[in-house]
Amino acid sequence: MTNHWADLQNAKVFLIEGSNAAENHVMSMKWIRKAQAKGAKIIHVDPRFNRTSSIADIYARIRPGADIAFLGAVIHHVLENALYDVEYVKLHTNALLLAKDEFGLDDGVFTGYHEDKHKYDTASWAYDLDAATQKPKKAASLDDPRCVFSKLKRHFARYTPEVAEEISGVPAEQIKLIAETFANNRPGTILYALGMTQHTVGIQNIRCYGILQLLLGNIGKAGGGVNALRGEPNVQGACDMSVLNGYMFGYINAPNHNHPTLEAWTKDNGTFRRKFTVNGLKAWFGDNATAENDFGWRWLPKKNGAKDYTVFGMIDDAYAGKLKLLWAVGQNPMVTNPNLNYVHEALSKLDMLVVQELWDTETASFWQRPGADPKSIQTEVLLLPAAYFMEKEGTISGSGRLVQWRYAAVKPPGQAKADLEIIDTVFRKVRGLYAGSTDPKDEPLTKAVWNYPAQNTAEAVLQEISGRVLAEVTLPDGKVLQPGAFVAGIGQLQADGSTSSGAWIYAGVFGGGKNLSKRRDAKTDPSGLGMFPGFAWTWPGNMKILYNRASCDADGRPWAGTTPLVWWDATEKKWKGVDTPDVPDATKGPDTPEGQRAFRMNGEGIGRLMAAVYKDPDAKEKEKGLPRDGSYVPKDGPFPEFYEPIESPVANVLHPKAQHNPCVKYPRVPGKQPVGTAKDFPYVLMTSSIAEHWCAGSTTRNVPWLNELQPECVVELPTQLAEKLRVKGGDKVRVSSARGEMLVKAVVTKRMQVMRIAGQDVPVVWMPYNWGFKGLSTGPSTNVLTIDAVDPGAGTQETKACLVNVVRVEEAVAQR
Amino acid sequence: MSISRRNWLKLTAGGGAGLALAELGFSAAKVQAATGHLKLTGAKQFTTACNFCSCGCGMVCNVVDGKLVNLEGDPDHVINQGALCSKGAAMQATHESDRRVKAPMYRAPGSDRWQEISWDEALEKLARKVKDVRDSTWIATEKDGDVEYPVNRTDAIGFLGGAQNTNEECYLWNKMGRLFGTNFVEHQARL
Repeated sequence: MTNHWADLQNAKVFLIEGSNAAENHVMSMKWIRKAQAKGAKIIHVDPRFNRTSSIADIYARIRPGADIAFLGAVIHHVLENALYDVEYVKLHTNALLLAKDEFGLDDGVFTGYHEDKHKYDTASWAYDLDAATQKPKKAASLDDPRCVFSKLKRHFARYTPEVAEEISGVPAEQIKLIAETFANNRPGTILYALGMTQHTVGIQNIRCYGILQLLLGNIGKAGGGVNALRGEPNVQGACDMSVLNGYMFGYINAPNHNHPTLEAWTKDNGTFRRKFTVNGLKAWFGDNATAENDFGWRWLPKKNGAKDYTVFGMIDDAYAGKLKLLWAVGQNPMVTNPNLNYVHEALSKLDMLVVQELWDTETASFWQRPGADPKSIQTEVLLLPAAYFMEKEGTISGSGRLVQWRYAAVKPPGQAKADLEIIDTVFRKVRGLYAGSTDPKDEPLTKAVWNYPAQNTAEAVLQEISGRVLAEVTLPDGKVLQPGAFVAGIGQLQADGSTSSGAWIYAGVFGGGKNLSKRRDAKTDPSGLGMFPGFAWTWPGNMKILYNRASCDADGRPWAGTTPLVWWDATEKKWKGVDTPDVPDATKGPDTPEGQRAFRMNGEGIGRLMAAVYKDPDAKEKEKGLPRDGSYVPKDGPFPEFYEPIESPVANVLHPKAQHNPCVKYPRVPGKQPVGTAKDFPYVLMTSSIAEHWCAGSTTRNVPWLNELQPECVVELPTQLAEKLRVKGGDKVRVSSARGEMLVKAVVTKRMQVMRIAGQDVPVVWMPYNWGFKGLSTGPSTNVLTIDAVDPGAGTQETKACLVNVVRVEEAVAQR
Repeated sequence: MSISRRNWLKLTAGGGAGLALAELGFSAAKVQAATGHLKLTGAKQFTTACNFCSCGCGMVCNVVDGKLVNLEGDPDHVINQGALCSKGAAMQATHESDRRVKAPMYRAPGSDRWQEISWDEALEKLARKVKDVRDSTWIATEKDGDVEYPVNRTDAIGFLGGAQNTNEECYLWNKMGRLFGTNFVEHQARL
């Protein structure tokens, strides 16, 4: 979330698309309803009329996978009718920057496409740079045909409400109403969840949100923002701690094979992030990391730049017999991964599977899966009993980036142990096996600092994450930091190895030697906006609303008519506010370049309507040619373009030749990833979770009263389809896809509908995915049906849109 | 006697509770004795946060003699102000459940059953396997075109999980994975 849960009360309009917040993020409604009581409007866009739809002012039914067509038309309407915030757009976005003339889109494909590799050469997706400064040239007006804003307008000109209606099923008039309702009630916020990301165009779905909110000036303001409602208690923290193949030390790119030195890596990633990398290396390798040995750079494993290291790469490598040992902690891929029959085959080829869990799950017992022959599965399996959250201590970070301490209330049952203790023990055992080794390959183990105390282990680790002063540091204001002190924040981290921080974005959570995540002041809210700065601690720097510099104009004054968050105090020569100001340096005012970088994590320092290729030069490292920072560029285009899901019942209305995302390679594994067509599988399936069961259901399906509330998996069918199939509610049906099939009961409702898409009828059906063969409530797993085609950038699977067939079981028997 | 839920609440809430309970077949004396010692008397309180979605709702654990006697929404919390959803309200059952795994289990190749083993044995097996796989699959250098790069990694060990863990566990999990030399360090972010 750019904002946070309690901030939802400050919004004047909500666009909820790709989330059933009322069921899956129940507490969000506490704050959304407060806003609604004050007159805020709620727009819900979803293929299924659910509990969130029922409290919405506007409900729009959309076909699964058609979000870019719909949002493209909303953006189109905002642009064509000049509903955007022109001053904000000019000041805080790249609208005025000149883009290269050779950039373009032809028949759904951007310039630079290599069909054989499913990849783009992105050189043309760039700015027109000033030769001397290497900074982008700037247009004098938004009407300049070479500027980003003009290219944005040209791109979305094709997304008329009428075209969007044909693709998405949302009526053109309703699209206009939504665009106007959202644009004319500001601040407006956007909420989304996996309904938006689990597509082969997941990143570009969210790019639409970024573009829309930048156009409306809704980023950096109370009641605004783009807010991801994340699915698990600490999925935010796990990302923050780099439990993602591509990151290290807090969203810093992990090195590839062609980064043998820190300098080679810095050429691609910039000196700004190099500083935080050095702090991370110092946290991991302590005194062994020195300027002379490149801070231990050689001890980091370098990825093969062409290889897929996501969970899908893992499954593919297991199936190929290359991945030998898989260790899963609190994750149950035999329920939650798509294309489960293939996942089962892959797990069966492992040498060893280790599962650390509360329960015996479908993954731990995959060799007991109905229909499997245990004798033919040679995988050794260890099931290690883990402690649950009330049985251990440590922090978690929710969607709003609030880092909260949890106390251990009770002891774990039986011999169960906290994951922290298990991880610590295994690392020490493995390192022990390498004791005395002089082989350079074992240096990462022997050179690392790993000596956490047996008591208060979690707090000791939090200290390492937050960071320490290692050698005397004199700050720009003359303050001297002594070795052994804890760093107070990101601003105190040094580039030369005299400080350490295991995850720079959390620097200061242990500032002043105090565990700030334990703070409990739920009474003091000076802003009246629900920020409660003394309750726990929010990363970064206890900042509640990211990009809040954008809430001010060029002079550092809050935009007229908005709620003040931060401002430049000309008397004190300081950025001040009710929130931590999101500026590179609180003492650098609006008359300095640093005082005009509202989106300082981009190379350009401003919001990116076009995600152009850009590296900001570092004046201090000119002779080495190192950039200060680079900007992220999606692999599949600098603007969002609509593509059909891999399995779709209709041809792409915009460009039939570019039916799917051109960067998606699928199938990856011949024979194991079949693609179905509408001829055999005429209905669109979307899947999701429900209020009573959660994710794999490993925990909730072991709670008897939750099972009473939702005893089994179902398929929800539109009334019109059920009539055609002669199915009544409660009848057993067989649902099948190109990948698998299952028997479930039908639920027949008007909440699902047969939609009219591109001139044909498209029935849409829904299933929850929370069941499996273990636990107190057992049943077939919906993910035997779903497709494991993934977004080319994020690696997120298309579980929200695939094709299925549904038949009555009696009828199916009669046909045999 | 037929009784609606609304009447039941009225009866039990008011001064006529004893009579009503007796009518329902309860012993008034026993009920009074039980309520004389409230469930939370002498309980130690610990604050925590829910482990389902990412709202981060605050919870209070009430513990008597090392036993979790009650778990409820934390009224002094800035996100949920005491409220919980259907799943959060069910959390106490997860601690007490007899379905929890309580000892390390091992399944041998080709076997159709679990067998209980000791922690020492389990972790010894795991540590040895890490070393064997790491040593036999180590990639010291890798060629790209004409250039040979040092890469120092293994692609044969996969780590999966983290969204159910604390930040401190995630941090050590990632650190351990990369120090072993694998980049297959992933969690539920996409699922």
